[in-house]
Order: sequence, then structure tokens, then C-alpha cells
Amino acid sequence: MRMSSSRKAAVAAVVMASLGFVFAGYSTYDYAAQLDRQVHAVHCSFIPGAPVSTDADNPCKTALFSPYSALFRATWWGGIPVSLFAVGAFAFFIAFGVYLALGARSRRAHPFYALAALVPLGASLVMFFISAVHLHVFCKLCVAIYVASLALAAAAVAAWHANRNDAFALATTAPSDARGAQAPAEGWGKVVVWLAALGAAVVLPAVAYVAALPNVRPLIDKCGTLAVASESHNGLLKIPTAHPVRPVLLFEDPLCPTCKAFHERLVDEGVFDKLDVTMALFPLDTECNWMLDRPLHPGACILSKAVLCGGNDQARSILEWAFDNQESLRELGKQSASALTSKIGERWGAEITSCLAKPQTTVRLNQQLHFAANNHIPVSTPQMFLGTKRICDEDTDLGLKYTLAQLAPEVLP
Amino acid sequence: MNDPDRRPAMVGVGVGIGLALVASASVAAMVHNAKVRLEEPAAAQAVAVADDAEVAYCTPAFKQVLQRVINACGLAGTEQRRGCQPADVKTFASINDDDFNSLFTPLKDRGAVVMFDENADALDPSGKELLEQRWLDRRGARYFFIVARASRDGTTEGNRALSHKRANSVAFYLKEATADPDLDKQVGMLWLGSEFAQLPKSFCEWPNSRHDKACTPEAINRSAFVSWVDCRL
Repeated sequence: MRMSSSRKAAVAAVVMASLGFVFAGYSTYDYAAQLDRQVHAVHCSFIPGAPVSTDADNPCKTALFSPYSALFRATWWGGIPVSLFAVGAFAFFIAFGVYLALGARSRRAHPFYALAALVPLGASLVMFFISAVHLHVFCKLCVAIYVASLALAAAAVAAWHANRNDAFALATTAPSDARGAQAPAEGWGKVVVWLAALGAAVVLPAVAYVAALPNVRPLIDKCGTLAVASESHNGLLKIPTAHPVRPVLLFEDPLCPTCKAFHERLVDEGVFDKLDVTMALFPLDTECNWMLDRPLHPGACILSKAVLCGGNDQARSILEWAFDNQESLRELGKQSASALTSKIGERWGAEITSCLAKPQTTVRLNQQLHFAANNHIPVSTPQMFLGTKRICDEDTDLGLKYTLAQLAPEVLP
Repeated sequence: MNDPDRRPAMVGVGVGIGLALVASASVAAMVHNAKVRLEEPAAAQAVAVADDAEVAYCTPAFKQVLQRVINACGLAGTEQRRGCQPADVKTFASINDDDFNSLFTPLKDRGAVVMFDENADALDPSGKELLEQRWLDRRGARYFFIVARASRDGTTEGNRALSHKRANSVAFYLKEATADPDLDKQVGMLWLGSEFAQLPKSFCEWPNSRHDKACTPEAINRSAFVSWVDCRL
């Protein structure tokens, strides 16, 4: 027997929903792996099952650690990954697609499926917009989910369209009693049941996820304290913010990608402007930092000096400029100090460049590095101290909102 | 009842329930595994910790001198008077003059010799300039050493006092010029008079404040050797 067009389209929808299910599953797997508070590589391929990516800064990692990858972060450590809701939704669309492919007779089934399939498409469009506008990267797993959502919606609409054509053809060719049998009067009860089933499918995995979550509350304030709370030369920077309500000390490196991501996370979450920020620069560059055996970020010492030269008023602008132009500045830093200095002068003027050469600037940066040494902080950036309490590294990304909700709820919007 | 919609609906419901259960069970297993790893973490990687510099010349013998200066010569607390008596150096170092001086040899490029006039303890402008240069070039060092000497002209007692004054002169100038609140915890002084570890003439090749003048064995010992010390204790 020949398969009707609507059934073919339904099969296509099942295939697309299955792909979405698999990709969303991988994404969820990567997210859940981080719940052990250790560092893991993540999947980042269009090929399901491809090995994890070892590239530290791959776009999937950027997306995973962004504030947009999960909901309810203030309630549970890491929140609930949005991909988990997608897993449930795609499971529903597979099942409903099977129902249609096997010859569903309800006349509301196809339109329901087509309209419901717009929901994952809408969610994908929102996430696509966020990727383009806020993250400036497209993670392959995410793109695969967007494409699966789009194809699912297209197949679902095609199935509806084909079903309408089939029904119309039947209506115009079949005898009148057969027509009556094909389209029985039907209420909205089934639609309500399907919607409830969709909701349950979306929520059920999330409930299982939350029920299994470990209790990390006892761990979040176990990462040490500042031994020396203040720098005796008053050499640290004060960064003015709009509504400072909680003192915080940040150790930052202008060329460190994690610092950039952390800063953007604080700003995006609406937290930064509620912090009373004191900043110590901790460039991972052997030109000024003796605590390294090789320069991780050549040029970071010069940029740190530029931030210091900006003073309390301009420091944030210079730091954010460095974050925004990290890639090109890192290349200049590798080329030569003079190339980087020229770039700084080009953007911030001669006053800043002349300040870079002053011994006092070198001394002040050195004081900040000694402040780090006196406190025996780990040689890594960024680091955040709420008052004198050190926030664990693993709580500065996925767990940031939860940690702040626990330790400093007043800084959350 | 022979509802034609029943079979596809039942299959669809079955697939749906099956997938939802598989998804939920998988998710619960993923999270559980993470929980297990959290409770029994793999051996943590050693993380470097920020600290003062520690370079190759920080040998046990050098550190012995450093430790003594810190503990016994006034660096550990600000209450005590700073500096060691020359006799103390002999006792604690238990090494001869050459061995003592050779401990400082690796500091040739890091340190400098600030020279004084005969029988004088006042710093001249070039001495002050050199001292400031060296002070600003701290890098990762925790301690700053002043090792003052006197030439063999004059009496032992007089030279001891003179080298003490020269060490103080350097320390006072640093205090005045830098206004550094941590100075008392950083600067360690030794005054050796003329009876211990006189510098040989080869030290004239070291950076000094009077490179435009003739350097004699007497002149190089009318001095204070200054340097940041890149060692931890």
C-alpha cells in the first residue's frame, strides 16, 4: 500500500524530532557532567556520538557556561539546563509523530502537531538570537537543535497541509456517508490531553534531574579566605558601580578569556553594578609576574598597567575594552610590547601611554601581585572574594547565581 | 469498540511514555554519576599558589644567612633593633669570608654596591639614585638586604660602628624616600665592620654608585651592598 503524503511528512517529523532528541540529550549530558564541580570537555559536533572537543574555548563550552543555558539557577546549583526541556519536548514530538504516521484519525491531530511544533522552533529562534547577539558564537550542538526544530516544524506543517489535501480529496470523491465517517464531530478534549502530555513530557525529565541533584550548599564556602584583607600601600583599584551593596575583591587578567566570560556573566546577571568592587590585577604574564614559568598571556602586564593608569574612573572602561578586543590584543602582545603600547595609545591617548612607562605604575602592579602572593591565592584568574571569603572557581560559572543567592542575595536583581 | 484511531494512539502513547521514562532515567543516572564523582573526587591536580619568588641562588647556606637575619637581626618583629653584630655573623654562618661572599655572587646583576667616602656614612646623590633604582626593581622578592662594611683603615671598633652607621644611612634614606609602610618587614641589615668578609677587588666590577672613580680594595669595602633577595623562608 502506498504511504500518503501526510504520513510521509509525519515520518520525516519523527526523524527530525529524533535528531533533536539526540542532540539535546548530548547537550544535557555535557551539562550534567559539570555537576561534579570538576572540569570536563564537551561535545561540539554535528555528528551524534563524535568525541568530545578538547578545545578549551569551543563555542559549545561558551554556550554551556553562559547565563542562557539553564533556568532556575538561583534555586539549584547550575539550574536546569534548557536542553533538558528540549529532550522532553522532542520525546513528545517523536511519539506524536508516530501517532500521525500510523494514521491518526482525529481531525485536530495534524493542526495541533503543526502548531505545537512551532514552540521548539520559537525557542530555537530565541536561542539563536541570543547566540548571535550576546554570545557571538554558534555552538554546533545548538545549531543542530535549531535545525532539527526548524525541520520538525516544516515537516509538521507539511503533514498538516497534506492531511488537509487528503481530507479535501476524500470529501470531494467519497460518497456522502463515507465523508461523515471520516470527519466525526470532535470536541477540544483531546487537544487538552495532548497539551497536558506535552507539558508532562517537558517537565518529567526536569523533575528527575532536580530530584537527583547533589546538595552543594556545604561546599560553596569551603574555598578559603583572605589572609591579608587590605593592601598596605592602598595599591588596589576601586571600580565605581551604580548601586554597590556588597564588598567584593576580584583578581583579574585583561587577556584571560575566563575573566572576560566571568565579567560578562556578572554584568548580564545584573550583579556587577550591585558589587562594591575592589580589583587586583593578576596578569598571567612573566614580564611582571614571577609566579609563572612561562607567559600564558603575553602583553597582559602592559594591559594591566593601562588599567591601573586609567585610575578608579577609567579602569573599568579600559578593562572592558581589553576584554572586548582580547583576540587582537593577544596577538599584538605576542608580536611586541611596542605594538601593544601603540594600540593602547591609539585608543586611550598619550596620557595613558606615558603613564605605562612610569616606574610608579610598575611598582603599583607589583604591589598588587605581592598582595596576591601574601594571600597565597591559587595562580589562576579570575578569582572572587565576597568580603574575605573566596568563591570557589566552580562557583564562578554554572553555580554563580546559586552561590550568590546563598551568600549574598542582596546582589541579585 | 472498533475505533480506527485507537491503535495509532496506543502506539504513540506507548512510545511517548517509553521515551519519557528513558529520558528521565538517563537524566537521573547522569546526575547521580556526577553526584558520586562529587562525593568521591579523583585526586585533585596540584594548583600553583601565589607566593614570593624563589630562584636558584636560594641555597640552604644562603637561606641560613637569610633566616638568621630575619629572626635574629630584627626583621621578624619591628620592636627589636635591627642588624647583627659581626661576631654573630661569624657564629651563625660558620663559614669563612670567601664562602660568605660567594653566597652573594649570584646577586651581581640584581644588587649593587653603594659606596661611601672614607670615614663617612652619608649617601651621595649617585648612591641615592642607585639605591632608588634597586628598590623599585623589586619583582617577586620578599626581602631587601643591606650588607654594610668598612675598610680596614682605623680600629676594629670604629669600623664596626661606621659600618653600622652606613647600614642605617641606607635604611633611613629608603624610609624617607619611599615612605613604604612595609619597609620594616622587608629590610634586613648586616654590618660587618672590617673584620669579616671583606670584599675582594673583583667586586669593583659589580654595579656600584662610583663607577666613574677609581675602585680600590679599600674603596669597595667603604660600602653597603644592597639587593632584593628572591628567596622564600
